[in-house]
Amino acid sequence: MDIRAQVSMVFHLDKCIGCHTCSVSCKNVWTDRPGAEYMWWNNVETKPGTGFPTLWEDQNHFKGGWKISGKDGKKHLELRSQGKFDALLKLFYNPNQPGLDDYYEPWTYKYNDLFDAAESDDQPTAIPISQITGEPMEIEAGPNWDDDLSGSTLYAENDINLEELTQEEREQLFEIERVSMMYLPRMCNHCANPSCVAACPSGALYKRGEDGIVLVNQEICKGWRACVSACPYKKVYYNWKTGKAEKCILCYPKLESGQIPNCFQSCVGRIRYLGVLLYDADRVASAMTVPNEALVESQRSVFCDPYDPKIVEAARRNGVSDEFIEAAQKSPVYKYVMKWKLALPLHIEYRTMPMLFYVPPLLPVMGKMDNGHYGNVVDGFFTSLEQSRLPIKYLSRLFSAGNTPLIEAVMKKLMAVRYYKRSLDMGDMDIVTVNKLMREADLTPAEAEEIYALTALPTVDERFVLPPIQREEAIAGSCNPELCKGSCGLGISVTPERGP
Amino acid sequence: MIDSVLFIALPYLAIFICIFGSIYRIRKMPMTYSALSSQFLESKSLVWGSVPWHIGIITIVLAHLFALICPGLWQMLMAYKNVLLITEALGLAMGICCLVGLIVLGIRRISSQRIQAVTSRMDLLVLFLLTAQVIFGIGTAVLHRWGAAWATGTAVPYIWSLFTLQPDLSYISDLPHMVKAHIVSAWLLILLVPFSRLIHMFAVPLHYLTRPPQNVLWNNPRHYEAEAAAEEILDTDARREFIKGGVGIAAGTLLLGAGAMDKIFAFFFGPRLTAKEETELMEEKLCRLQATTDQRKLELERQSSKYILVSAMSELSPTEGKYLIDYQMTPAMAFKGEDGLPIVLSAKCTHLGCTVGNTVNKEGKILCPCHVSYFDIKTGEPNADAPAKAPLPILGWALIDKAGKLIASRSSKGEISGDTSSESIKDCDLFIVKTDEVKV
Repeated sequence: MDIRAQVSMVFHLDKCIGCHTCSVSCKNVWTDRPGAEYMWWNNVETKPGTGFPTLWEDQNHFKGGWKISGKDGKKHLELRSQGKFDALLKLFYNPNQPGLDDYYEPWTYKYNDLFDAAESDDQPTAIPISQITGEPMEIEAGPNWDDDLSGSTLYAENDINLEELTQEEREQLFEIERVSMMYLPRMCNHCANPSCVAACPSGALYKRGEDGIVLVNQEICKGWRACVSACPYKKVYYNWKTGKAEKCILCYPKLESGQIPNCFQSCVGRIRYLGVLLYDADRVASAMTVPNEALVESQRSVFCDPYDPKIVEAARRNGVSDEFIEAAQKSPVYKYVMKWKLALPLHIEYRTMPMLFYVPPLLPVMGKMDNGHYGNVVDGFFTSLEQSRLPIKYLSRLFSAGNTPLIEAVMKKLMAVRYYKRSLDMGDMDIVTVNKLMREADLTPAEAEEIYALTALPTVDERFVLPPIQREEAIAGSCNPELCKGSCGLGISVTPERGP
Repeated sequence: MIDSVLFIALPYLAIFICIFGSIYRIRKMPMTYSALSSQFLESKSLVWGSVPWHIGIITIVLAHLFALICPGLWQMLMAYKNVLLITEALGLAMGICCLVGLIVLGIRRISSQRIQAVTSRMDLLVLFLLTAQVIFGIGTAVLHRWGAAWATGTAVPYIWSLFTLQPDLSYISDLPHMVKAHIVSAWLLILLVPFSRLIHMFAVPLHYLTRPPQNVLWNNPRHYEAEAAAEEILDTDARREFIKGGVGIAAGTLLLGAGAMDKIFAFFFGPRLTAKEETELMEEKLCRLQATTDQRKLELERQSSKYILVSAMSELSPTEGKYLIDYQMTPAMAFKGEDGLPIVLSAKCTHLGCTVGNTVNKEGKILCPCHVSYFDIKTGEPNADAPAKAPLPILGWALIDKAGKLIASRSSKGEISGDTSSESIKDCDLFIVKTDEVKV
């Protein structure tokens, strides 16, 4: 038993309004440097859609994550992108690495032309120029180019999670006036079984023992780019200027001094929860060798009960501090993931054991047009599961590796909470129906109240439960983000520069 | 003078700067130490450039290093004709791979706007030098064939002479310009390593083959302390280190002691030689020493003697040369000329030093098998289009009869003196002479 602590996050997608504020605040602090213009450590995608980089979920093309190999009983995981030996050949040319055009060519505008243009009959304009070559360019794609474009034949219909939907279901999904979509904020999942770390030929990537944050040591990184291909979420980026890999650092300089990460702090919908999970590192690799449908349960089985004295003892033995253990006991993430089982990992079929979790969206409350009035009638006030606007099959491809009953259970529970609270506040629900729904969702009134309170009314101290990582252990706790942009290694802060 | 600059000063400077510059850059400027891949910006033509170039150059550099480090083994392998053929063909193929790769990479670097955004002047200089170097290499392989064989007698001893701090230009001073250019541009490239992207060649991640897949680092000391406490070993790092050191020293001492004890044990209780065996052993040693001394004496005598015996006049043939070793310990050979007088000339090819064959063809010429140079045995001149440009040196000789009287002689310049009638020289012995002063 090797009990470690992981700083983990939950995204409550019902609350996400797709405003990109998290992405922008992250970009302004970390990636507004030359070479990193195209990187979005945090981005928000519209689903169905093709995402960023385009079609990142197509692992037949990008070969990210792990695959199972070996016979029954002796199954083990292998990187999909490379073996030990062909990894050396792929140093020269990596066939699975996404190129700039899979992301987008970053651009700015020639703003000075607005002031400096010679006098003429026409208005001066600021034409777009590439941030790489400095030459004028046609803008063909951007980081959120499919934003709000559900129903688009170019973007949404090419979402590969729609594969298993029948033609009829697809038509229903994209039917005009019924077209629906959800937002998916994405960042590095700080996986427990990271494929980027396993792929790095130089051994520059590492997972921090104390909090599970996955980092790239910029001094060791030699720019072999194996991590970029190996990460199935395409959340390791290649800095074309410094020739090194970069990724989300979970704002560790802020965490170390007890501050809140940028994306979390700026979240308008307050959809994010951050807390500690305890897990048994010895069981991670074997837990990821089960069949797809069992993966979510298998991952849950690796997480440990922070109140179990044996677990607490083992964690202490591993050097997890008492403050961390206490945080794990109060963790909102533990409640969503383990206690209520509402939060699910994104694409766990890539088998990297992602450690960020999503509460799937319960879809917008559907109103009905009655004689030109938008009315809230009790019947069909909530969409039923069968009529859900985003097919359950689609959500299960995203959050449960194809296991639809799991998504249904989450939906039922979320819905039961709403029925229960409505029946209390408005008194216009049939109490028998509500009780039946509660029983079906395996939900007690006390639990429903708890879920309601943490979902709708939480203060920041309930959403962010993490002790400052002890200052004497802090590596870059005193680092000013303005100074240590891109230098996210082992306690160094050197301005990144390209070699001759 | 220019040769000493290019082949002695430049290599020392290049090696010195390469070693210390690279160490400095890797340790002090790790942020600039990267493969600087540009696949992200352009990948379509990169695959046709980077892959052939890297595979070609790695094979070729490894082969060069192998020949340099184990010249004996290499020479032994190259003695087999088939191995030599395969090596030469493979080398040429890989060289062409390199050239194709470099041309693709060069065109890509110049034609793609995105690549130009990450191109420095140093990149262009390196690309140019590498292309030149590969062209010189291919040129050597094509124009001066069997480099795999002759390099062990020229370039390899030259580089070893540099390493052993006794630079000796004589190994390479006669080499063709193409080969010399290849050597000079190699030194220039080595010089540029710490200042260019070439530094990435030291980053080959071979340890990836053996390392475990996951990499977890703990920053706080608590984890390690907790680990140590759980195993109940020791409570402080210092004591643990002390014990570790102590155990190491104890183990070392134990091993040394065991070795010493073994010797002591063997001395007192081991098998003994009988007096007879001991005597035989010493006799054997004595014989070996004696043989070595004799040989050295003979060599010295030979070097200091005025004449060295070649053979009896009657044994010389006009069509098949008789090999001999001259004063410089290099091969030479003797023929019987048309006028009945002996001809003695060096057998070391003036091109790359192979030993010239001893069979005279119809035109009165002998052949160097390495690169097909024909030499006239009368004058030593090579044929017009031969790779060898200089004639084989003619050696002086003397004819001495059985009574020890000098009958006739010839200086290395060709002046013949004495009685050269066939009657009088018939029973003489042929000698080569140390100086031209020997005259009748």
